[in-house]
Amino acid sequence: MKRKILAALLASTMVVSLVGCGSGSEEAASTAATEDTAAAEDTAEEEAPAEMSAAAAGENKLTVAAWDANFNIPALEAAAEDYKANVDDTFELEIIEQSQSSDIEDAITLAGSSGDYSTLPDIVLFQDHWIQKYVSDYPDAWQDVDDADVDWDDFGAEKLSYSTINGKHYGFPVDNGTVVFAYRIDVLEECGYTIEDMTGITWDEFIAIGEEVYAKTGKYLLSMDGDGNDLIYMMLQAEGGSQFKDGQPYITENEDLVQVCEKIVEMVQKNVCYLANDWSDYTDQTIIGDMVAGVMNGNWIIPTIEQVSENSGKWEITSMPTLDGGEGYASNGGSSLYVTANCQNPDLAKKFLAYTFGGSTVTYDGALRDGGVITCCISAGQSDVYNEGVAYFNDTPIYAEIVEMGANVPVIEQNDFHYTARTYMAAAIINAVQGADLATELQAAEDNLNFAMGN
Amino acid sequence: MKNKKSTVLAKQHRAGWIYLAPATLLIAVMSFYPMIQAFIMSLKTGSSANMQWAEPVTYNYTRMFQDKLFIRSVGNTFLYLIIQVPIMLVLAMLLAQLLNNKDLKFKGLFRTCIFLPCATSLVSYSLIFKSMFATNGLVNSVLLNLGLIENNINFIGTTSTARMVIIIALIWRWTGYNMVFYLAGLQGIEYSVYEAAKIDGANGWQTFWRITVPLLKPTIVMTAIMSINGTLQLFDESVNLTSGGPANSTITMSHYIYQNSFGDFVANFGYASALSFVVFIMVAVLSAINLKVGDKRDD
Repeated sequence: MKRKILAALLASTMVVSLVGCGSGSEEAASTAATEDTAAAEDTAEEEAPAEMSAAAAGENKLTVAAWDANFNIPALEAAAEDYKANVDDTFELEIIEQSQSSDIEDAITLAGSSGDYSTLPDIVLFQDHWIQKYVSDYPDAWQDVDDADVDWDDFGAEKLSYSTINGKHYGFPVDNGTVVFAYRIDVLEECGYTIEDMTGITWDEFIAIGEEVYAKTGKYLLSMDGDGNDLIYMMLQAEGGSQFKDGQPYITENEDLVQVCEKIVEMVQKNVCYLANDWSDYTDQTIIGDMVAGVMNGNWIIPTIEQVSENSGKWEITSMPTLDGGEGYASNGGSSLYVTANCQNPDLAKKFLAYTFGGSTVTYDGALRDGGVITCCISAGQSDVYNEGVAYFNDTPIYAEIVEMGANVPVIEQNDFHYTARTYMAAAIINAVQGADLATELQAAEDNLNFAMGN
Repeated sequence: MKNKKSTVLAKQHRAGWIYLAPATLLIAVMSFYPMIQAFIMSLKTGSSANMQWAEPVTYNYTRMFQDKLFIRSVGNTFLYLIIQVPIMLVLAMLLAQLLNNKDLKFKGLFRTCIFLPCATSLVSYSLIFKSMFATNGLVNSVLLNLGLIENNINFIGTTSTARMVIIIALIWRWTGYNMVFYLAGLQGIEYSVYEAAKIDGANGWQTFWRITVPLLKPTIVMTAIMSINGTLQLFDESVNLTSGGPANSTITMSHYIYQNSFGDFVANFGYASALSFVVFIMVAVLSAINLKVGDKRDD
């Protein structure tokens, strides 16, 4: 009897473990290093259709993948409602919610690698830095939207520079990545400064003020995710520079970049800037945890700042400091909508996107109200909703200010290897902060980047 | 007569093959085929949609020896291996020895407690360790309140402590697992052997090293191979606990392979497959050495 029970148990565990093998992409990735890529690819491909595929779109139906229920999904909902109410009431938009942007990026890599685009929805939303790479790697996966009925000049030039490839438009900008520098005006006041004193200053002046603020209040004037350090990119863009020149890494010989890195290391060592260990530490510990008196990032960081309700009315925004003084403008993050090769009804997709994200104030007002998504469409940014004062930011009309700042962001050279560069540069900064020689670290970053690019 | 016998034999053979067929087929399709494909892929480069044969064919393999980050990931992985595996195995053996004591009460309870970490998912325990060792986490506040430190320590953000946290996490997670094997091995040792040792005047220490360890040798070899194998493929802890940071100083080989295919590094499947095969060879070589060392029979 005992043996029979044992046999039954063994048999059932075997069945369970077999089933586990079939679906556990997590397991496959961790235990089978030898088959890592192949196995992960297989399982993810199997999963993709269930999650992302376009459910046999009807005549007037589009599918779109997006990832943030508090941010870009409300924007898409607003657009769908706008189109339904004002153009075609039979229109339907199915939003496929993903948990994070990298899920969509992985799905594109998989679909592109296998050449099977049927796993993609009609429209995908992803971060701007990827599109150049995706178009050069998987040219067949996209449909350009060049002939859509849109006034492209109405968008910020910097934003469009990502999604325009060989003179053709591929994407519709959704949110705006313009960098804002938000300060706690009450903390500044305590130290004898105003928001005007922080505008158009040099980084050296900023560091001096930051030291004072830390000494008096114990608050850092800036924080960043040390692992995915965007400070370098933003500060360099404010100087009009890029980490790439003619498609090659441009690091050790780039004087502005070296100076920017020196300033960052100095800021961290003087307790002006706090480098968090990762992204969630950056948002939860430093910003929501009320450790900082200043936040500098793409304006999508504003909803995070607003989560600390007791600080309402104590914040204001301005532009960035620069190396030699003067107001700095940069852009970080932001995403656009792209039409995939799997879209069977590209005309509808273009019509829908052109009507809504092409400049409809109804869409953009709704997106701002429900998701805090700020447009980079210049005319849409002049609506009444944009010009309202925001209570959290001391009743200043920050949204209109941001749209205005966005028009000043310099266009800089972009590269497929943006994120690789970010990883190596972040490592260089961390090592330098821990005591290594910055010049050596930057040389190593440049070598590693050259290596990754196959130079 | 002879004829009939052979048909019976043939029938048995056929039945055997039929029983084997499903498993063989599954292994071939699910395991061997992807492995061959991965090997072919490791000889190619370029965009993953349109991969070309590398020039020369071994490009991906020769390339990795100049890849500083890969060499660092190998170094990290071996560091974990050299420090963590011996500590863990010795601890597991000592615990097994303690719990094998005939007079111990609540044996089942203790065994369950020590084995329990193995029932937690790799991702969740990594995340729990991450929050415990966070700058404002449990460990920091305990140390602070005990007066052992003056300022919060940034465990995850400092190279040496981040590595230490990974090793501690690994020991916590896997010691109980190995202990179970030793317990099973210990139960296979006749009690009379120990009695004989006692009569001969051996103390506990001598009994452990002269009797328990030699008799447990097959189990030790097996756990060592499994641990080496597991450590070389370490992934979850590096990804979830430290995300390879700070500055890639805790990244493991598998994590680097993953990054080359899906992470911030650009989808470079050819190179990632080549790296996978190198890890595979490392595991094979280390296991072979281990088997040879462990297999010292007297014949």
